Amino acid sequence: MRLPRFALLGLWLLALAAGAAWLHGHLRVQTEMTVFLPPSATPAQRLLVGQLREGVVSRLMLIEMAGATAPELARASRALAQRLRESGLFSSVANGDLAAMAAERDLILAHRYLLSPAVQAERFSAAGLAAALQESLELLASPAGALLRPSIPLDPTGELRELSRLMLPSDGPQLRHGVWFGRDGSSALLVAETRAPGFDVEAQARAAAAVREAFAASGVACCGAIALAGPGVFAVQMRDAIEAESWRLSLAAAVLVLLILAAAYRSAAAVGVCALPVATGLLVGVAAVALGFGSVHGITLAFGATLIGEAVDYPSYLLTSAAPGEPLERTLERMGGTLRLAVLTTIFGAAAMAFSSFAGLAQLGVLTIAGVAAAGLATAWLLPALLPASAIRLKTRGLPPLLTPLLARIPGPARWVAAAVLLAAAAGFIASRQDRLWDDDLANLSPLPEAAKALDRRLRGELGAPDVRYLLVARAADREAALQASEAAARWLQDRVQAGTLAGFDVPSSYLPSQRTQAARRAALPDAATLERNLAAALKGSPFRAGTFAPFLRDVARARGGVLLEAEALAGTALGLKLSGLLVREGEGWAALAPLRGVADGAGLSREARAAGFELLDLKEESNRLVSGYRDQSLWLFALGFACIAALLALSLRSATRTARVLLPVAGAALLDVALLLLMGRALTLFNLVALLLVIGVGLNYALFFERPQAEGDERARTRLAVAVCAASTLAVFGCLMLSQTPVLRAIGETVFFGCLLAAALSAAFAGGYTRKSQ
Amino acid sequence: MRVALSLLLLAAAPQLAAQALTSAELMRELAKVEASHATFVETKRSALLKEPLVTRGTLAYRRPASIEKHVLQPYNERFAIEGDVLTLENRRGRKLKTSVSGAPGLAALIEGIRATRAGDLAALERHYEVRVEGRRERWTLLLRPTADEVARHVASITVSGTGSRIVRVEIEEASGDRAVMEIQEELK
Repeated sequence: MRLPRFALLGLWLLALAAGAAWLHGHLRVQTEMTVFLPPSATPAQRLLVGQLREGVVSRLMLIEMAGATAPELARASRALAQRLRESGLFSSVANGDLAAMAAERDLILAHRYLLSPAVQAERFSAAGLAAALQESLELLASPAGALLRPSIPLDPTGELRELSRLMLPSDGPQLRHGVWFGRDGSSALLVAETRAPGFDVEAQARAAAAVREAFAASGVACCGAIALAGPGVFAVQMRDAIEAESWRLSLAAAVLVLLILAAAYRSAAAVGVCALPVATGLLVGVAAVALGFGSVHGITLAFGATLIGEAVDYPSYLLTSAAPGEPLERTLERMGGTLRLAVLTTIFGAAAMAFSSFAGLAQLGVLTIAGVAAAGLATAWLLPALLPASAIRLKTRGLPPLLTPLLARIPGPARWVAAAVLLAAAAGFIASRQDRLWDDDLANLSPLPEAAKALDRRLRGELGAPDVRYLLVARAADREAALQASEAAARWLQDRVQAGTLAGFDVPSSYLPSQRTQAARRAALPDAATLERNLAAALKGSPFRAGTFAPFLRDVARARGGVLLEAEALAGTALGLKLSGLLVREGEGWAALAPLRGVADGAGLSREARAAGFELLDLKEESNRLVSGYRDQSLWLFALGFACIAALLALSLRSATRTARVLLPVAGAALLDVALLLLMGRALTLFNLVALLLVIGVGLNYALFFERPQAEGDERARTRLAVAVCAASTLAVFGCLMLSQTPVLRAIGETVFFGCLLAAALSAAFAGGYTRKSQ
Repeated sequence: MRVALSLLLLAAAPQLAAQALTSAELMRELAKVEASHATFVETKRSALLKEPLVTRGTLAYRRPASIEKHVLQPYNERFAIEGDVLTLENRRGRKLKTSVSGAPGLAALIEGIRATRAGDLAALERHYEVRVEGRRERWTLLLRPTADEVARHVASITVSGTGSRIVRVEIEEASGDRAVMEIQEELK
C-alpha cells in the first residue's frame, strides 16, 4: 500500500515536530568546557580539571569601572559592591573597602590570638609586653596615631596589624580613596564570587545582568564604562556571540544554499524536500546522544551539526542523478550503492570516536553515526516516495565543464607526477613545521575572542586573582592534616623567599590555621593572674596609664577559654572565599594549594619541592599536556577511522586501484588543506581536526560519485552537476563561517572551505577521467 | 561722642579689611616656598598616658609632593611621603611602603600638613572644611574633616604661622587627645 504523497509528507513533518518537541522538553545542554576534556590521567590533571569545573576560580567575576574621576569611581565602587551584596547572587564581593569588611574584621578581631603567627609565650612575658607597649607608644605618637588609638587598649601586641594583610594582601591592587584601583589609577576594580558555578550559564547571565544594572544605578553610568571578565561572564558572552553569529551566518548560508538548489532543480518542491533528511538526521543524532549520555554538550551540538552537514548532500546526489523523467526509485537502483557507501564511510569514520573513553568525542561519534544514518535512510526511503519524476527538471545540457580544472587536461602519468610532487611538497612543509603545528594552549581551545582573553589577563594581573602558573600542592587524608601540611609548606616556602628563589606565596593555613597550631597558640596565652602581673611589670617603665589595657586582659582571657576557629565560621566572608580556593577536596583526600609568585626557576623549585615531599604544579605546562594528550588520542582515533573507511572501500569496491582513486584525492585534499592553513599562519587545534573529518566525509562522497561506473555524456554531466551543487552549497555554508568573528567558527569555516574546494578539484581530476562506461 | 566713635570705626573698617587674610591669599603666600627644613618639638597628650609624650626631630618639604618627618628623640623613626608612597623606617628595621590614598584617614591627616605646606587649597578642601583667620603676619588655618571616617577620629587641625612660615600645628582628636607641634622653619 502506498500512502498519498501529501499524507506521507504530513506524517514526516509531524514526526519531526514531535521529535523536536520531545527534545525541547528533555534535552539538557551542557556548556561546561571540562566535560569535553578527557578523564584526566594524573592527580595533577584531575586537580586542574576539578578547579576549572567547580573551583572558586570558575566562579570569579572581575569587574572594572572607568571613565570618571577617581573619587566618583570610588563612590561608584562602594555603591556597586553594596547592591551586589544585597542581590543574593554573590557569595562575596570585594573592592578593597575595609569599611565594608566588617564581618572579616570582627572575625579577625575575635580570633586574633588563634590566627596570628606571632602568638608565642614570650610575647606575653613582662619583657615581651614592655616591647609591645613601646611600639604602641610610637604608633600613638605617629602621624596615624589618631586613627590607631582605638585599637591600642585592645591590642597592644599588634596582632590586628599583623593580620590586616589577610584582608588586604600587600601584593593586591593599589588602594585609592579606600578602594581597589588599577595600576594607572584610571579604573576601579572589584572581584565578586558568584554563588552559581561558572558553567551554569543561565545563572551567570543573571549575575552579569545584576552587575550591569547595579552599574547603571551607580551614578557614573552616564560617562563611565564597565568591563566584566571571568569564566562565567565569558561563558555567557560566548553563548550569546555564537548564538547571534550562528543565526546570522546560518541564515545567510541557508539563503545561499536555497539559491544554489533552486538554480539547479528549478522546483520548489525539490528544494523543500532536500532539507528534510538533514533535519531528520540532526534530530535523530541529538536524540541518540541525549538518550545515551543523559545530556548533550554544546560543543557536540555545534560540531555535530557541522559533521551532519554532509547529509545536505545526500538528496542532491539522488536528485541530480535522475535522468529526465526517471522516477527516483529507478535512479536509486543505479546509484543507491554509491550513496550507501557515502553514508557508510562517514559512519565508519565516526565509529572510532563513538568508542572513545572521552565523553566529548564519544558524544560526537554517536551523534554523527545516528544522524548520518537517519539522513541516509530518509533520503533513500522517503524522498523517492515524496517526489514525482516530473518534479525535477534538471538542465545538464550545455553545462560548462565544471570542476574539470587544468589538472584534468594534463595526460594521465604527468598528472600523477604533478600531484605526487605537490603532495610531497605539502607533506614536507607540514613536517618542517612539526614543532609549531599544534596550538596546545587550553585557553586557545576556548572560543573566546582575543580581546576578551586580553581583558581577563589584564584584570587578573591587576587584581592578583588566582590565575597563577605555579601552585605548590600539599596533599593529606583529611582537612586538618592538609592544614598542617600547609603550615609545613609555608615554613618551607618562607625559606625559599629568604633565599630569593621565590617572591611570595599564599597558603590556606594563613586563613585557617590547623587545629593543632591554634591549640598551641591558645596554650601560649598566660592565665589572667600571670598576664596581669607581666603587664604591671611592663607598665613600670612606660608612660601608659595603668587601667588602659583592661580590654586586652579581657580578650586574652576570653581567647584562652574559648573554642578553636572552624572553617564554617569563615563561610560567606572574603576569608572563607580565599580558604575554599586554597583548600580543596581531591578525591578521597584534601589538597592545600599554595599559589606562588615570582618563581625564578620552575624546574629547580619543582625538584626541591619533590625532595621536600610537596609537589609543584605548573598549571600552564599541565594544561598544555592535557590538551596535547587529548589531541594525540583524537588523532589516533581519526587515523583508526580512516583505516576503517579504507577497509570498507576496499571490500565494497573490490579493487585496490578504485579504492586508491577514491581515497587518494581525499587524503591529498586534507594534506594540502593543512599545509594551506599553516601557510596562512594558523596553528592547528581540535577544531581544525573535527573540521578535517568533515572534509574527509564530504570529499569521499565527491570521489565516490566521480569514481562511480557511469556512462559518458549525460550521466557524467549529471555527476559533475551533482558534485558541483554539493560543493557549492558546502562552500557557501563554510564560506559564511569564515566571516565569523568567533575564532572557532572561523577556524572551522576556513578548514572546510579550502578542504572541500581541494577535495572537489582533486576528485574531479583523478577519479573522474578514468572510469569507462560500464553500462 | 557716639557719632565720633562710629566715624572712627567707619574710617578704620577698610584698613581692617585690607589686613584680614582670605584663604586664597594665604595659599598663595604658602605656595611661594620651594623647599623647607625645620626642627620640631611635639607634645602628645592622651587619656591613655600618665604624662605627655614629647618627641623631637626634623621636618623636610620639597615642592610639590615630598614631605618627611624624622623623629630623633626619644627614638628614631622616619616617615617619608613622596607623591602617593609612604615609607616608614624605624629602629626595628621595618621598612614599610604603602599607598597614601589607600588609607583615606591617613591620606586626610597627611594632606592636612602637606597640602597646607604646598598652599594647595583644592587638596585641602577635598578632606576639610577650611577657614582662615588673622592677618598675613599672624594667621590661623582651621581644618575640620568632612569625611565621617576621619571625623570619627579627628576633631580639628589648627595650623598657625606668619607669612609663608608655619610655626605650629595642633591636632585635636575626637577622643580629646591632643598633639601640639612647635616648628622652627627655614625656608628655601
